[in-house]
Amino acid sequence: MEVGRLPISAALKGKLVSAGYTSLSLLSSLSPSHLARDLNISENEALDILKHAPHDGRIDTSSGHHIISGAQTAWDMLHEEELLTRITTSSVEIDNILGGGISCREVTEIGGVPGIGKTQLGIQLAVNVQLPVHCGGLGGKAIYIDTEGSFMVERVLQIAEACWDDMLANNAISQNVHAGQVGMQPKDFLENILYFRVCSYTEQIALINYLDKFISEHRDVKIVVVDSITFHFRQDFEDMALRTRLLSGMALKLMKLAKKFCLAVVLLNQVTTKYAEGSFQLTLALGDSWSHACTNRIILYWNGNERYAYIDKSPSLRSASAPYAVTARGIRNNVSNCKRIKLM
Amino acid sequence: MKPEDLLVRPRPTAKCTAGCPVLDHCLGGGVPCRSVTEVVGESGCGKTQLCLQLLLSAQLPPSRGGLSASSLYLHSEFPFPLRRLRQLARARPMGPRHDPLEHIFVHPLHSAHHLLDVMPKLESFVENFKSQFPVRLVVIDSIAALFRSEFDNNPLDLKRRSSMFFKIAGKLKWLAEKFDLAVVVTNQVVDLVAPNEGINGLRIGNLGCLDSSGRRVCAALGLAWANCVNSRLFLSKDKEIVSTVNDMRDGCGCEPMHCGTRRRLHLLFAPHIPDTSCEYVITREGVSGVCR
Repeated sequence: MEVGRLPISAALKGKLVSAGYTSLSLLSSLSPSHLARDLNISENEALDILKHAPHDGRIDTSSGHHIISGAQTAWDMLHEEELLTRITTSSVEIDNILGGGISCREVTEIGGVPGIGKTQLGIQLAVNVQLPVHCGGLGGKAIYIDTEGSFMVERVLQIAEACWDDMLANNAISQNVHAGQVGMQPKDFLENILYFRVCSYTEQIALINYLDKFISEHRDVKIVVVDSITFHFRQDFEDMALRTRLLSGMALKLMKLAKKFCLAVVLLNQVTTKYAEGSFQLTLALGDSWSHACTNRIILYWNGNERYAYIDKSPSLRSASAPYAVTARGIRNNVSNCKRIKLM
Repeated sequence: MKPEDLLVRPRPTAKCTAGCPVLDHCLGGGVPCRSVTEVVGESGCGKTQLCLQLLLSAQLPPSRGGLSASSLYLHSEFPFPLRRLRQLARARPMGPRHDPLEHIFVHPLHSAHHLLDVMPKLESFVENFKSQFPVRLVVIDSIAALFRSEFDNNPLDLKRRSSMFFKIAGKLKWLAEKFDLAVVVTNQVVDLVAPNEGINGLRIGNLGCLDSSGRRVCAALGLAWANCVNSRLFLSKDKEIVSTVNDMRDGCGCEPMHCGTRRRLHLLFAPHIPDTSCEYVITREGVSGVCR
């Protein structure tokens, strides 16, 4: 029996089996409190059992070809990747170059000059993640870590209302879901954004260390947005080596979170100037070593009067750029651009 | 650590009226609390005027768009415009027993380091200030003047300077969050010598280029400081020739001309309001927006 291989006490194993939990996949979607109730054990013990059980049912440990536990074949990974879900950005053109949106299990860095719309995109993603899957979301919650104080609740509500509108329109067209079944109100979007305001870099590191525990208690979190990762790290550092160490430690933790809980991590970054080859160039802040820290890198920039998003780094996507607009309703396609396409 | 409940958080964020409905409309209700708002403009375009007006309107009750609050004015440009403040205060009577000047605290600033030294004092002042008008507005006029003399234009000094920016901004934002303060800083502009070349032509915000008095300008203190503020307003002015009377009948050939100033407020970026702009005038009574 599968539970027999869990590294837990025999008494707990007995309780698991007698309660009917014979296969590990049965444990995968349980909350600790639920399990504790079922087995009549303390919540800590339940948490301990779940820690050893695989978190998603897809990793099948019973087939014998895993020499090292936790290892996967590329074939399995391909299957997993096909199941990988993405969060829409609400701009069809950005979604297109991203292959459908911001992907889970990965760390995505988004950078650009002040006023280009980083925070707007961050808020949009925190709202969109709550949409049902057929609307481009994941039906999950969002963690929003605000280091700069640019998160305005009134703006979130505005974006949430527009998003809710679109969702109703979408449902009305597809006829899949009746409006009553949605049961979500604009203000529920606010309730599902877990907001942390961070005022120093020590607080920021402490919070990111704590996230692992926090998310294991809130399994429905599907995105972590940090706006911005940079702000507190551009002050007060005499020792740049220390800064690099702290940052890369943080990046590793975030990457681990993304993998472990199958969620998207979005880090917003500022731009700075760098002196290279005799001229000043624009580059994302935090230095060269940081540029290795994120799986994907998207740069937002102005081109004339239009805003563009550019994929600067990605293991799977080709580099491309797409225009977008920041409207009262949130991030949307660039309308003037659509007109141009129609004309052609 | 617990997440904040967004439903409990004041919604919309408390705002301090700018003292005029047209400007307020442009600013989405006024200057937001828990946030750093920057006012950029060349000298004589009305930055200080706007700040003085904010000091007064912060004292209004919330029903009239204010914060019922005292305010703190840190100035690095001398002297403090006391006479103008009194003039503005007289134009806005607030009641028989209310002297607006009693609720404005003024402190001089001499350098960026001085500002950092003042910060802890400022914190304890705001914390221990017991009055029915708690401090809710802090104005720094101007941030640019603090940095203009002290730092050289070499890489090391520039690096020290930008680390200082983030330190100051970090402290200001922390204060703003802790005490629910509205923070307003003013900034100067610098001329753009070689437009569209390298970093100097870098576009920050909604306007493609900033023009004031017929010159191309950009906000002082560069890109690093632009990352430190939450919202940025740009005040511009331009000479405008208005012929008042078209009186050619007496044939003297000398057409009476009137030289006016056309002033405009642009929103360069803000997390909560879209790109807008409006014209404004400065009169004896203060700064007010004009609908055209």
